[in-house]
Amino acid sequence: MRTFAVIFLFSLPITLFCQNGSIGDFTPDESIFYAQTKQVNQFFRRFNAEEDAKGKRFYSKDSTFRDLKSRKKFLNIIFDNSNGLISNAEKNDFIELVTNKKSPVFLDFHGNNWFAEVTSSFIYKKEKVNIILYLKLEHQNLGYKWVFSNVYFTNFNEYFSHLGDTSNLQMILHPLSHEIDFMNIHKVFEDPGNLDYYLERNYIPDQLALFVAEMKNGNLKFEAVKNVKFHFFQVQGWYFEVSYFNRNEANSGWLISNMIKINTKDKKELIRNYTHDN
Amino acid sequence: MKKGISIISVICFLAITSSLFAQDKQDNISPGRKQAIDSLALEKVRDLSKYISIIGDKKTQWSEAQRVIERAMELFMENSEIGVSSLSRPDVTNYKIRAYFDRLMQLNYDRVNIDWYKIQYVSDLERQPDGTYVGVITIYQRFQGFDKEKGLIYEDTTKKDITVYVKRKETQIGGRLIGFWDVLLGDIRVKETSK
Repeated sequence: MRTFAVIFLFSLPITLFCQNGSIGDFTPDESIFYAQTKQVNQFFRRFNAEEDAKGKRFYSKDSTFRDLKSRKKFLNIIFDNSNGLISNAEKNDFIELVTNKKSPVFLDFHGNNWFAEVTSSFIYKKEKVNIILYLKLEHQNLGYKWVFSNVYFTNFNEYFSHLGDTSNLQMILHPLSHEIDFMNIHKVFEDPGNLDYYLERNYIPDQLALFVAEMKNGNLKFEAVKNVKFHFFQVQGWYFEVSYFNRNEANSGWLISNMIKINTKDKKELIRNYTHDN
Repeated sequence: MKKGISIISVICFLAITSSLFAQDKQDNISPGRKQAIDSLALEKVRDLSKYISIIGDKKTQWSEAQRVIERAMELFMENSEIGVSSLSRPDVTNYKIRAYFDRLMQLNYDRVNIDWYKIQYVSDLERQPDGTYVGVITIYQRFQGFDKEKGLIYEDTTKKDITVYVKRKETQIGGRLIGFWDVLLGDIRVKETSK
């Protein structure tokens, strides 16, 4: 009951806290910090109702663990309220689905189907550039680690701008080149800018491989992490994104910043788009 | 010597909570043990907070500040760093822990106030491939820098996400092998909160 009262307080506008200067032992700032979803870990725990309003962990043997009523309240405070793109109807549908009494859906830290998107700045050929790094959790020996699953760098696309271009009729290796031991192949390499005309049409460039090569060759130098967000596909029929909102209000920290209802086909397409996989 | 004292204090702490640790040969962390480890980790974070306040205090003499920096360094894993970003500079800049303390000591204010909010958030402990557990503790700090004539000239509130490494170790006391959980701090992410 006390838990719900604290959650209820969190849902009130912060002006209420300011009027009195403090609530109990907390200053207005502290009230905000309590309400804030401070870690991604807390996002998981709030989503699943595995902690109380003050962040005290519940365990599976506790009667309050994953309590349905507190879940509904927690789920309501982990959305970015300033986002007009997520309608109340969608939000309610989503909450109804994940809190379904018969088959509730919980987030699983080790459960795959979620990954991190880390926008970082690098120096590439003396120029500051942004590269998106995609990371996922991978099990190894006694525990887990984050590993790079892909990267996206717009400059790498330029290497493959002619890929699949069937209008070109000149830059080809004719079909009897093998009979002359490919002695004509040197012509391909004399013009490396057009090398991508000679690749098989359905070739999928591997940006991660290029990234590793450029780093190892010293052409790319890491500068700084600029932004981090997470993509979740753990709730069947839905995709949502979690971002950090650094603002002076209770609705801050790690919150759902985007949400889309999707079918299985959309899901594949969406993952492809987000990870820039072809 | 200080490390020795630190290990002994850890063992004493574990002796107090012996019911939670009795005859433990497993690496799994039960809720009771997790709470005990959290307390130990929070103790280290509180020590760090105390040291930061002393190092940043203009009244602290240089030699005393150096001594406290050494004590503070003992809390950390080797090569730990502090990644700092501000509202005006969102890119994260990393400093070695010692460099961060040195900068803190040399801040150009006549007086500084460092207050800590009464709030902390402790994550779950996750295991990394070598079996070491990793957690993150979040705390909030308010910093105020004063000039003799102009008064308050700089103020910020920062969120500090502190990595905590927890490892099961054994030591021999009086011919008996005693297991204990060693806690060390790691990288710290410092983020200025919105004003």
